[in-house]
Amino acid sequence: MTVPVEHLFILSAILFAIGTAGFFLRRNVIIVLMSIELMLNAANLAFLAASRMHTLEAGATEASLQGPLFAIFVIVVAAVEAAVGLALVIALYRNQQTEQVTALKN
Amino acid sequence: MANALFYLMAAGAVAAALGVVLAKSPIQCVLSLLASFFCLATIYLLAGFQFLAAAQILVYAGAIMVLFLFVIMLLNLGNPSTKDGTDEGLFRRKGAFLSVIVAAATMAAGAMAVTADGLAPATQPMPEHGIDTINGLAGEMFGRYLLPFEAISILLLATAVAVVVLAKRDRKDAGKGS
Repeated sequence: MTVPVEHLFILSAILFAIGTAGFFLRRNVIIVLMSIELMLNAANLAFLAASRMHTLEAGATEASLQGPLFAIFVIVVAAVEAAVGLALVIALYRNQQTEQVTALKN
Repeated sequence: MANALFYLMAAGAVAAALGVVLAKSPIQCVLSLLASFFCLATIYLLAGFQFLAAAQILVYAGAIMVLFLFVIMLLNLGNPSTKDGTDEGLFRRKGAFLSVIVAAATMAAGAMAVTADGLAPATQPMPEHGIDTINGLAGEMFGRYLLPFEAISILLLATAVAVVVLAKRDRKDAGKGS
């Protein structure tokens, strides 16, 4: 693949923007959590794009591995966030019988 | 060929992400997100990150999405709820302005990254075995980044305990919360 690294960053920005829009616009807590997953994925893509850039630039002698490493950490954090978030959704549903964020007001 | 596949997958990822934001039913949202993850995994593979592509499919598509689907099925939230006008007039709310502002800022940052001359062009060929070889990753993770790794394992333990506490059905305190 010879796509310039800028295009990876642009794709990451677009995905992050879409995730942000979902986070602010939707009222269903589960979809809000999914939007957060989307944003974390966009951040991952940016990490990997930077790693690719530093690996393929002139004079680089070895692969730049911080990017993929932090992407792995982000994946773990995303899994943790999903588990805790969905447990909160279950607790919310048990107490309020709804999954809307508006139910969290009081 | 690989470039064309990249742009195809990028378009697919964006379309699927839009599906997450715009779809009515949570099930449709989960499936769109799944499609987006698969497109991104293909992009990782094309960009030379084989281990990350596998982790993306195994962890995201295999575990996290199943968790989402499980909760949606468990709470029977599959149908779009209409009882309180949920998600009607999606773009007529105050949040729309905020998200447009954030989206514009993100896109501006992306555009600046494109126009800045700080980005090094790719001049070297891709390493034969991809960028994120298991050897290299393990060397970093258990060498320089051992402390973050241990912190992550403590985080996972704390999460397991927290989820059990949160989701436990407390018969005595039913109605009082928790």
